[in-house]
Amino acid sequence: MSRGSTTMVLLVAVALALSAVSGTRLERLAGVRVESQELLYLPNGDYLKAASLGQAPFLADVIYLWAIQFYASYEREDRFRYVEHIFGSVIVTLDPHYIDAYWMGAMILSVEAHDIDGALRLLDRGMERNPDNWMLPWIAAWESYHSGRLEDAVHYFDVAANIPGAPDSVRRMKAGLLGKTGDTRKALELWLEIYNDDETDDRSRGIAERQVRRLKHRADIEDLSRIIADFVARTGRRPTSIEELVEAGDLYSLPLDFDGQPYLYDPLTGVANVADGSLFRD
Amino acid sequence: MSGGLESTRRLPRIDAAIRAIALNTFREAIRDRVLYLLLVFALILIVVSQLLSLLTVGDEEKIIADMGLSAISIFGVLTAVFIGVSLVFKEIERRTVYTLLANPVRRWQFLLGKFVGLMAVLLMNVVLMSIALSIVLVLRGQPPWDLVPALFLITIELAVVTSFALLFSTLTNPILAAVWTFASYVAGHLAWSLPLLRDKVTGTIGKWVCDAVYAVMPHLHRLDIKADAVHGLPLPDGYVWMAALYGVSYAAVILLLASVAFERKDFNR
Repeated sequence: MSRGSTTMVLLVAVALALSAVSGTRLERLAGVRVESQELLYLPNGDYLKAASLGQAPFLADVIYLWAIQFYASYEREDRFRYVEHIFGSVIVTLDPHYIDAYWMGAMILSVEAHDIDGALRLLDRGMERNPDNWMLPWIAAWESYHSGRLEDAVHYFDVAANIPGAPDSVRRMKAGLLGKTGDTRKALELWLEIYNDDETDDRSRGIAERQVRRLKHRADIEDLSRIIADFVARTGRRPTSIEELVEAGDLYSLPLDFDGQPYLYDPLTGVANVADGSLFRD
Repeated sequence: MSGGLESTRRLPRIDAAIRAIALNTFREAIRDRVLYLLLVFALILIVVSQLLSLLTVGDEEKIIADMGLSAISIFGVLTAVFIGVSLVFKEIERRTVYTLLANPVRRWQFLLGKFVGLMAVLLMNVVLMSIALSIVLVLRGQPPWDLVPALFLITIELAVVTSFALLFSTLTNPILAAVWTFASYVAGHLAWSLPLLRDKVTGTIGKWVCDAVYAVMPHLHRLDIKADAVHGLPLPDGYVWMAALYGVSYAAVILLLASVAFERKDFNR
């Protein structure tokens, strides 16, 4: 090997060694930087959209992929500081129809960052821009439900149920939730609507029938108990039968349960029940 | 009568001149190994699309379609700019333009032939890359038909960019021509900001200038329907055809300007 070649090989070896050492050192230094610093200067989606020259959806994908990797890393403690900015101001501004980004951002906000308000804000933005998509209000309903906001959940299920293409299960969820919020009559109305709808599939109709039976019994017993209590308050005694309530004008007619059977009444306790006593068994 | 016969006799000759120049331009571009670039792109697309399943959560096909359309658009613009700007300059530099124009070939025919040749290359690029993208999508059970209008308008956009490349190629050297062509592309995609600026500007002259610049600039953002295509969003009736008509007529105007500039060009200087 000539002297020139030897020098060249040595120079390459030295350069490689320097590069390896400095690279390793650099990695260590990068590790002690402020963790979310890289997010601090990510421009707003509006600016990025202008700068993307027609490639905004692709840019949205790139940032979405990066965001998933970023938020999947449990090593960063402060990683949730900019989550609403990344998903709400950047990704879905670049691509307002990116449904995955809305629900994924909302999930990270609610489950990981415990920021249900932020999650619902992001989903609300998605609903505004994608009014034909039932998935977003449906997810908002579940997020609200899990955080104990039953009224919000009913509202979002209602929005989702009214969007064409939403499956029957969405209406079932809404009706079921109405029952849980204590509004038995409203829940009954909705289950009846599902039960009587010609477009309801057989499975949903079966579920609706069970719910209508259960809710009708509950609603009727609730009404009967209230009327009996009024009767007691007015007369100072319990009615001897449900018929007496009809005769006294407290009821228009003898109420019947879903199967056409009269309700049971115990004059000693003043408690009404369904014919098979099932109401207090479930 | 004789004029009519003469014109019918001349037509095939005009066609033949343009066709010959176009064919030559096409062959030259192919020799520039554009096809290898395409093959590499297609392979990268297929490999990356498989890797994406490891990275994303949700609709993988959306990302593949976005990536494919953007790549087709960006690769197309780069091809149009870097081949387009040297088309005329190379002929002048090699002095082959003298030989060509010594034949019964008009300067505008030469320019049109160059345009048609480069458009043929770009069309081939778009078709090949679209096939690669479609194969990936079909393998994942996603029909690619929704993307066709976006691909069509990408091709129209490339015609506009190519016409700019030819115009600047007749006026200046390849480096400056590339800068100007790319600047036109950027300006075309930012044209939407002019009406916003117009609203902010006070004074009639300022508003008039904004209106005039907006009218003259290529509205390339109107040819961009990639997001609509990927999400399967409906476009207004006739939008695609109207956008195509706009793009083609705009490219025709630029080509006419290029012809005028080329007619006036003195090759001896």
